[in-house]
Amino acid sequence: MPDPAASPAPHIRIGIDIGGTFTDLQILDERSGALHSLKTPTTPEDPSIGLMTGLRDAATRFRFTLSDIRLLLHGTTIATNAVLERRLPQGVLLTTAGFEDVLEIGRHTRRDIYGLKPRHEPPLIARDCRLGVAERMRADGSAEMPLDLGQVAPMLARIDALGAQVVAICLLNAHVNAAHEQALAEAIQAARPALPVCLSSEISPEIREYERSSTTVLNALLMPVVGAYLDRLRARMAEAGLAARLLLVQSNGGVCSPEMAARQPARLLLSGPSGGALATLRMAQALGRPNLLGVDMGGTSFDICVVREGAVTQMTQGEIDLLPVRLPMIEIRTIGSGGGSIAMVDAAGRLRVGPRSAGSRPGPVCYGRGGVEPAVTDANLALGRLDPRFFLGGAMALDRAAAEAAIGERIGTKLGLESAAAAEGILAVTDTSLAAAARLSLFEKGLDPRAFSLLSFGGAGGLHAIPVAEELGVPEVIFPADASTFSAFGILHSDIVHDLARSRVLPASTESLPHVTGALAELRAQGDALLAADGVPEAERHLGVSADLRYRGQAFELVVPWPEGMELPALLEAFHALHAQRFSYANREAPVELVALRVTATGRLPRAMVHRTAGAGADRAPEPRGVWLKGAWREVPVYQREQLGGPVQGPALIEEEYTTIYLAEGWRCAPGAEGTLVAQRIAEGTAA
Amino acid sequence: MSTLGPVELEILRNALGAAAAEMDVTVWRTSRSTVVRELLDYSTAIFDRDGYNVAQSARIPQHLNSMSTGLLTVVREHLPLDQWQEGDVVITNDPYCGGQHIPDILAFRPVFVAGTRVAIVGTLCHHLDMGGMAAGSYAATATEIFQEGLRIPPLKLVRGGALNTDLLAMMKQNVRRPDMLWGDLQAQLASLAVGEANIRRLAERVGAEKLVEACARILDGSERAMRAMIGRIPDGRYAFEDFLDDDGITDAPIRVHAAVTVRGEEMEVDLSGCGPQALGPVNATLASSGSAVSYAIMAIADQEIPPNAGCYRPITVIAPEGSIVHARHPAPVANRIAVGHRLATTLLGALHQAVPGRVPAAYYGVSYVCSFQTIGEAGERGVLVEIEVGGTGAHADADGLSAYTYGMHNNSNIPAEMIESELPLTLTGYGLLDGSGGAGRQRGGLGLFREWRIDCPEAVFTANGERFRHAPYGLEGGEPGALGHLWLIRDGARQALGSKVNNLRLKRGDIIRLETSGGGGYGLPQDRPAALQAMDRRLRYVPG
Repeated sequence: MPDPAASPAPHIRIGIDIGGTFTDLQILDERSGALHSLKTPTTPEDPSIGLMTGLRDAATRFRFTLSDIRLLLHGTTIATNAVLERRLPQGVLLTTAGFEDVLEIGRHTRRDIYGLKPRHEPPLIARDCRLGVAERMRADGSAEMPLDLGQVAPMLARIDALGAQVVAICLLNAHVNAAHEQALAEAIQAARPALPVCLSSEISPEIREYERSSTTVLNALLMPVVGAYLDRLRARMAEAGLAARLLLVQSNGGVCSPEMAARQPARLLLSGPSGGALATLRMAQALGRPNLLGVDMGGTSFDICVVREGAVTQMTQGEIDLLPVRLPMIEIRTIGSGGGSIAMVDAAGRLRVGPRSAGSRPGPVCYGRGGVEPAVTDANLALGRLDPRFFLGGAMALDRAAAEAAIGERIGTKLGLESAAAAEGILAVTDTSLAAAARLSLFEKGLDPRAFSLLSFGGAGGLHAIPVAEELGVPEVIFPADASTFSAFGILHSDIVHDLARSRVLPASTESLPHVTGALAELRAQGDALLAADGVPEAERHLGVSADLRYRGQAFELVVPWPEGMELPALLEAFHALHAQRFSYANREAPVELVALRVTATGRLPRAMVHRTAGAGADRAPEPRGVWLKGAWREVPVYQREQLGGPVQGPALIEEEYTTIYLAEGWRCAPGAEGTLVAQRIAEGTAA
Repeated sequence: MSTLGPVELEILRNALGAAAAEMDVTVWRTSRSTVVRELLDYSTAIFDRDGYNVAQSARIPQHLNSMSTGLLTVVREHLPLDQWQEGDVVITNDPYCGGQHIPDILAFRPVFVAGTRVAIVGTLCHHLDMGGMAAGSYAATATEIFQEGLRIPPLKLVRGGALNTDLLAMMKQNVRRPDMLWGDLQAQLASLAVGEANIRRLAERVGAEKLVEACARILDGSERAMRAMIGRIPDGRYAFEDFLDDDGITDAPIRVHAAVTVRGEEMEVDLSGCGPQALGPVNATLASSGSAVSYAIMAIADQEIPPNAGCYRPITVIAPEGSIVHARHPAPVANRIAVGHRLATTLLGALHQAVPGRVPAAYYGVSYVCSFQTIGEAGERGVLVEIEVGGTGAHADADGLSAYTYGMHNNSNIPAEMIESELPLTLTGYGLLDGSGGAGRQRGGLGLFREWRIDCPEAVFTANGERFRHAPYGLEGGEPGALGHLWLIRDGARQALGSKVNNLRLKRGDIIRLETSGGGGYGLPQDRPAALQAMDRRLRYVPG
C-alpha cells in the first residue's frame, strides 16, 4: 500500500470498455483535465485480469499510482457473453399454475419466413425446472385465488432435487400486485437463506407475461455469474491497493453500483454499445450539434445510434439472442459489418460482404494469422488506404501482398475483375449497406439525413464514414479524438441512473389520477432513496417522469415525458403530437390508455474539464502513397492527425495511432473543437 | 450488351431491397388499423417496368410472390400498361382480377423517368373491413363472393396525381369503418410515393437504362439459380395428397393433391387432383395457390436464392378452373389461407420424395382463428381475435418445434395480461400439450392448449380450425401429430365442438378450450435414441 501521506487525494477517473479483442481505457486527471487513452488485449477467460493489466500500464505510462484512482467506470460484456455462450447456472422458474410453458411458447412471430429449419434455442430454464404455483391475481390487483404457503415445502424439496442455484419467480399480473411473489420469496428465503431469488415485480414490473418472464429468468441466471465476476474484480482491486469507487455501465447508458449490478445484472445485458452512444451524446452537447448520427464500426459490427434534438433515443425493450429484455435501454441498430467482415462470391455469382466475420482470430488475410478469406480490412489495405507499417500505430505489420492475392483469387477471378477493382467492389458493397442501415434508422423515425451530422468512431470507422455520408446525403462528418477508445470516453462521462417502472392499464383520464399520483410518489421516493444510498448529494439528484400511453386498442405504447407540474390534458396533447410525428396521424377523439409510469432517477457525477494530449506517432511525417480511386492509382497526400493545423482537401488520408481517415474527393477537413476533425462536403462549383 | 459490372449490379440489387424496406417502414409508420400495424399483415414490392417483382419486403409467406401474379393479371386482362400514366395509382381487391381475398387491397404505381416507365412499385395491405355479411369481411358461412364484401376491379384511385374522390366515396360508403379504410389507404399511397422517389433517385444516379438492365439481370440471376437448384433434383414424378377437414358448410373432406414432375431444370406442378371448389369460403384463386407453390419450392432450395419473379420461370402450375385451388367466380374465398396451408404441406410431402432429408414432416398447417365478442352488463361490446399455432414437423436430424409459427402465416399471440386488462375474459391456462407431437426417431413439435373463461353475462364465439380429422403426417415411419380439438366446458362438463364454430352463444363461467395439432414425427419411433426418450419423459413432452 502506498503511503497516503505521500500521495495526493485520489484524482484519477478511468472509463473502461471491454470489447472482444481490446480493453479500452480513457484516463482523466480530474485536477489538470489531462486526458489519455490506452488499449490492452482483452482476457476473455477472466476480463478482470486484462482490466488490471490496463490499469497498471496506464499508471506506469501516465505516471500515477493505483491509489490515485478515485473512480472506475466499467463497461462489461460479462453478462452478454454468458448468455450468448449459455454459460449459465441451473435455475428454477416459479409461475402461476397452468402457465408454466409461457417461457417456452414465447410470442410466435418468426424472422426467417422462408426457412424450413429456423434457428431455435431451447428455453433457458427447461420444462421440468418450471414449477406451477396454485394462486391467481387478477388484472385489477385483486386475488382470485389466494396463495397457500403450504405448497412451499414440497416445492423446496423439488428445488433441492433439481440442484437449482437460483430461483426466478414470475406470476401472472404481479406487475399490478406483487404480494404473492413477495410472500413466496420470503418463504423460500426463510428456508434457504443462501439461495438467490429474483422477482419479476422487482426487475421488470411491466405488463406482458412472456417478456417479463424472459427478463426475470435472464436476470436470475446472471445473478451468480455477475456476482462472481464482481467478487473477483474487487478482490483483485483490493490486492492491488485500489480503493477507487467502482461503477458499472448499464444498457440505459447510466452507471450503477456493484451491489445493484449483482442484484439486477440484466440491466448490463445490452450495455456494450451504450458507451459509444453516450460519447455521441457528449459530443453533440459539446459541439452544439443537436442532431447527430453516431456510427461505431469495429471488427465485426456497425452500431448506429441517433441523437435527436440533444437526446439519445431510447427504447423500453431490447433483445439478446432472440430473448426479450424488458428494460429501458439506448436504441442501437447493429448490422454485422466491420473490418473483419468476410467478402465472398456466392453460388449465384453475387458479391456478398458479411455478416460472417474473420474476427481477430484468424482475422483478415493481412494479419498473417491463417485467415484465407478476404475481409474488408484486406480490401482497404490492397487499395492503399491503410499503411501496412502503421496499423495499430505500427504495433502489427500487415501483409499487403497476401491480401491482394486473396482478393484476386477469391473475388476477382470469379467476377472477372482485376484485384484492385474487386477490392474496390468489396468496399462499395460494404459502404452502401452501411448507408442503407443508417438511412433506415432515421427513416423509421421520420427524420431527414440532411439535418444530421455523422459522428464516426471505432477502429474501422474512419475509412468508411465519408463514403457512407455521401451515400446518405449527410453534409458533415465529425471524427472525434481517440476514435478507437471513444466508447470509453462516453463511459468516463456517465451518470448514475436508476430506471423504475410501474405498470397497470388505466384510462388516461382524471378518474385515474389518485392512483397515478400515489404510484408516482412511491416511484419518486424509491428513486430518491436509491440515489441517496449511492451517496449522491441532494443537489445532484434528478427525477424524470414519463408515461407509456396508447390509444385504446393499440398493442404498443409511446413513452411520453411528463415534466413536473404538467397537467393531464397537456400530457395527452404531448402524446397526440408525438403520435402524429411518429405515425403521421393523431386521433384526439379516441380514448387514451396509460400502460406504465416510469421514473428515471439520475445522480449526476461531478463534471471534469478535459484537456487533450497528443497520442503516439505525433512526430511521424508520413509520405504520400498510391491509392486506388475510381479505377486508377493516384498519389495521395497522407497527414498525421496530430500535426494537422489547417484545412486539407480530399483525396487524402489522415492517420493516427489506431485509425485512419479516408477523406474522399469533394470533401474538405479541418480541426474542430474538442480535438475533433470536421469534414464537410465542398459545395458544388466551389472546389478549388 | 452488358454495361453493368458485377459490383454495380450488386449495389443496385441492395438499393432496390432497401427501397422496398423503406416502403415497408412507411406503411408501418402511417397505417391506422391494428391489422396492418400490429399484426403486420402487409407487404411491399418493387417490380420491373413490365410487372415482374425484383425486390420485396414480405412479412407473410402467403403474400410472397403473389403480388407479381396479381399485377400481371391486372395489366394483361384489365388495364394494359400503356394506359398507366405518370402519377397514377391503380388499386384492386378483387380475387377474380389478381387478388387473394377481399380484405387485401393491392395498390400499384408506375415510376417514370423522362417520360419512360422504368419500374412499378406496389403494396398489399389487409384492411380491417371491406363490407359484406360479416365484420372483417370474413364470413364463415358465405357461399358467394358477393356476400364477402365490396369488390373493386382494377381502377385508378389516383389519376395523374389527382385523387379519384368518386371512387373513394363509393368505397367508404360500403365498409364498416371508413376512417380506417381511408387511413390505411393513405398509408399505401405514402408508401408508394416513398418507393417512387427512391427508384427515381436511383435511376437518375445510375441512368434509367442501367436500372432497367439491372432488373433484367436480377431476374435472370434468380432464374439461373432456381434452374440450377431444380437441376440438382433427380428427374421424376412425385405425387402426394393431404386433406382439409371440411368447408364449414358441408361435412365432406376436401382432397388436396399435387403431382410434381421434375424434368432437367424445370418443374411442373399438377394440381388437377385437387377437389372441386367448395361451397363455403375454403377456396383459393390461382394467385393464392401460386404463392403456396412458390413458398414450398423456394423453401426446399439448398442454396439462398434471392426471391423474385425470375424464380417462377422454370415452374409451370396446372390447376383446372373450378377446383379448390383455382376457384371459379363467384365462389367465396375468404378462408383462402386454409387452402394455402394445405397446399404447402402437400407440396412439401411430394418434394420430400424428390429431395429426402431436406423436408420436415407436416407442420400443424392451419391458422387457428378464435374470436370472442363479449357483451357486458350494460350491453357494452368488446372483441378479441386470436390466431394460434401448433407444433412443427420433425426433420431428419432434429425434433420439431413446439408451438411455433410456421409455413404460410406468421403472427404473434396476445399476452394473457393484456386480454385480462381490457376485456371481461380470464385465461385459465396456456401451455404445451404433452404427447401431441408425432412419435418418431425425431419427434414432432408439441401443439398447445389455451383456455378462455367468460367473465361477463354473455359472449359470442366463432372459430375457424382445421386438422380435427386429418392429422399432420409423419415421414419415413414417423407418426402423425395429434389432432386439434375445441371444447366448451360448461358447469364442469366438457362438450366437443367442431373445427368451425359460428356465433356460439356463451354465458358467464363458460370456458372455451382450444387444443392445436402437433407436428409429424420423422423416422421410426423405436429408433429414437434412449437418451432422447428419457429427455422426452423427463420434460413430459411424452407422457409417462
